[in-house]
Amino acid sequence: MTTGLDTPVLSRREWLLSDRPASRLQAQLGRAYMVWLRFSANRLALAGLGIILMLIVVALFADVLAPHNPVQGDLRNARLLPPGTGSYLLGTDDQGRDILSRLIHGSRLTLAVVVLVAIIAAPLGLLVGTVSGYAGGWVDAVLMRITDIFLAFPKLVLALAFVAALGPGIENAILAIALTSWPPYARMARAETLGVRHSDYIAAVRLMGASPFRIVLRHVMPMCLSSLIVRVTLDMAGIILTAAGLGFLGLGAQPPLPEWGAMIASGRRFILDQWWVATMPGIAILIVSLGFNLLGDGLRDALDPREAGQ
Amino acid sequence: MNMPIRKTFAVLLASAGLAAMVSAAPAWAVTPADTLVEGFAFDDIISVDPGEAFELSTAEITGNTYNMLVRINPENTAEVVNELAESWSVSDDKLTYTFKLKPGLKFASGNPITAEDVAFSMERAVKLDKSPAFLLTQFGLTGDNVTEKAKAVDPLTFTLTVDKPYAPSFVLNVLTATVASVVDKKLVMSKAQPVTPSEKYKYDTDFGNGFLKTGYAGSGPYKIMAWKANEAVVLEANPNYFGEKPKLKRVIYRYMKESSSQRLALEAGDIDVARNLEPGDMEAVSKKPGMVITSAPKGTVYFISFNQKNKDLAKPEVREALKYLIDYDAIGATLIKGVGTIHQTFLPAGQLGAIDDKPYKLDVAKAKELLAKAGLKDGFSVTFDVRNIQPVTGIAESFQQTAAQAGIKVEIIPGDGKQTLTKFRSRKHDLYIGQWGSDYFDPNSNAETFTSNTDNSDDSKNKTLAWRNAWDVPALTKETQSALLEPDAAKRAAIYQDLQKKVLADGPFAIIYQQVEIAGHSEKLKNFKLGPSFDTNFVYTISKD
Repeated sequence: MTTGLDTPVLSRREWLLSDRPASRLQAQLGRAYMVWLRFSANRLALAGLGIILMLIVVALFADVLAPHNPVQGDLRNARLLPPGTGSYLLGTDDQGRDILSRLIHGSRLTLAVVVLVAIIAAPLGLLVGTVSGYAGGWVDAVLMRITDIFLAFPKLVLALAFVAALGPGIENAILAIALTSWPPYARMARAETLGVRHSDYIAAVRLMGASPFRIVLRHVMPMCLSSLIVRVTLDMAGIILTAAGLGFLGLGAQPPLPEWGAMIASGRRFILDQWWVATMPGIAILIVSLGFNLLGDGLRDALDPREAGQ
Repeated sequence: MNMPIRKTFAVLLASAGLAAMVSAAPAWAVTPADTLVEGFAFDDIISVDPGEAFELSTAEITGNTYNMLVRINPENTAEVVNELAESWSVSDDKLTYTFKLKPGLKFASGNPITAEDVAFSMERAVKLDKSPAFLLTQFGLTGDNVTEKAKAVDPLTFTLTVDKPYAPSFVLNVLTATVASVVDKKLVMSKAQPVTPSEKYKYDTDFGNGFLKTGYAGSGPYKIMAWKANEAVVLEANPNYFGEKPKLKRVIYRYMKESSSQRLALEAGDIDVARNLEPGDMEAVSKKPGMVITSAPKGTVYFISFNQKNKDLAKPEVREALKYLIDYDAIGATLIKGVGTIHQTFLPAGQLGAIDDKPYKLDVAKAKELLAKAGLKDGFSVTFDVRNIQPVTGIAESFQQTAAQAGIKVEIIPGDGKQTLTKFRSRKHDLYIGQWGSDYFDPNSNAETFTSNTDNSDDSKNKTLAWRNAWDVPALTKETQSALLEPDAAKRAAIYQDLQKKVLADGPFAIIYQQVEIAGHSEKLKNFKLGPSFDTNFVYTISKD
């Protein structure tokens, strides 16, 4: 069946890369395709993306993938078994629970922490930064001094203080990490805003009578998004490490939740004789952190407007 | 100019290598032949004054360096043997105890041991009123009457008058506590510092407390030469000791907190004994050729308690169900292997009247049945305060898993010892896991805390475990008090047996295990023994090949 169109048929690639886009959609898709081309040229970035996609798949299908119950162990018969014993591929921990199953279910916690922190901290930082940068004057001064106060504390110490005040638990750990990770985003968003606030297109929008609220939301924030995404992705490894650190100190996820940091903490006692109990979750944290870092690096290169071809 | 620099560098390198070899050499050094070196976590020591100390590690130091009138027989803990006393008798009204001292005994200082010193030791312990003073004041001794009630009749006769006709076995057992250690009055008072009397402390002297905090004025087989907090305790043989002379000249306790570092030091020969090995490290040490593990049951029991203020936990069926939801066998075979034995009654084995009934084992079906009877067919949620320390954390996690099988959702709230204990003492917990170590080697210490609750109000002065779990049991309280005044040892034992059975069946305590103390050491040590209590961990019998 032919479509009956006689216009010269563009391949999909040519359509996307066309320098005379016929519609807004075509322009946007074309731009996204350029980004993807630059991104996919970077093998390491692809590997990072692969790791993160795998993490998401594992988290989604944890119930199907895990060979054992992650919270019910066999204390009597299956305690501290080395990797490869029977059906325990990565061995068992001191409660006789399968480490692989715990790692698989723990990926949900890791992903939840990362996503929730990103959802809370990035918009908060973006809002504070753009408002501060666009409004200027005393609003800027007040917001930036608050940001300074948060930046003055080491992140982990501040998170520890928040968790100690709120009480241990995974929700409070997420909140604490979010509360401590927004200031860099605010700083960055402010810098970007200062760059665009006097540009012609903003002046044009203002002349058309747009309110400051609309300007910030529709015309300033989108300009900050790409650098924010890069920054958040690069920070995710740090977020995972902070969450694991809180778990390690007993302030994050509480037993029996299979949080990776808490798993390392409980395996530390056996490090001399049963090395796998602490090592396996450590490797999991390493791989996922590496994945986020590679992905973030790739995104930075791909999204950097200075290197953009268009 | 290049060559000389290179040469200098080579010389530097060689000397650095040499220095490294020399400094590495002590790692192979063995401990001296006349010295015993123990790796020991003694961070709990706050003072080595027997009138003040009430900590487990200090008990061991005091037990090896001071003497008492009477002492628990480490071979048979139901028996009290004479130490400084030659004989003792009790008056017919059971109020006055008379002790005859062995003649010709001397303190390490060379001063003779007299009844005066015994009376002074009691007097200063009561007047200083530190943590262990309650052991003596429970007999009605106060700062005002102690010189009357505990006095020297003649140089070798000491009498003690108590306020009620207690069972003599109870009084004697309490007198084996380290607070009753006899100190050298002459030496101590010569070092005493003047104090300005105040509301709280009415006396014009510190009774040598400042001196004895780090000093020594006793008569035991060893003398305390030094105690440096979190560093070392050094003991040296006492040449004036009246008993069998210690085999080794010196004993050094080296402060080592971590189980793994003790294990490494033991394997390297830096220490002779590792005292705080965890089960994993203990197993590794026991497999090393030339190394052995010595163990002894101690008077400490670990339990999970259920606060009766929680309306679910207050149901008798729920209390019983929870006791069926602990996997005693698996815990005993894994988490506490070597450091504890499963024990379900509140009196540790070895004490008068202790029984070894073990009616409970993991039985989820039975627990579900009991829960259904209590109207909680679908289970319930409950919080669990757990100290961040092994093995209790492991036991708590295991209980969390087994309880989940019966539908009980246990939320663990971890905390450090101070946090969880504060919450427990103010009765704000649901479930709590903890331990109780006998204050003195008499069944009353545990019986009182597990069964006696004289006043169940929130601001009560009585702080027993029964009170902390709001377990209001006037009948049991009365029964416990009656046991104190029962002179016949067999009848007294029968009362305690009855109390244990009642707590086992209905009490808000699931007692899990009795602690076993372990030590790893080389086979070359001869006669290394751990006693039934911390003050009977004697080191003076030990010799080296």
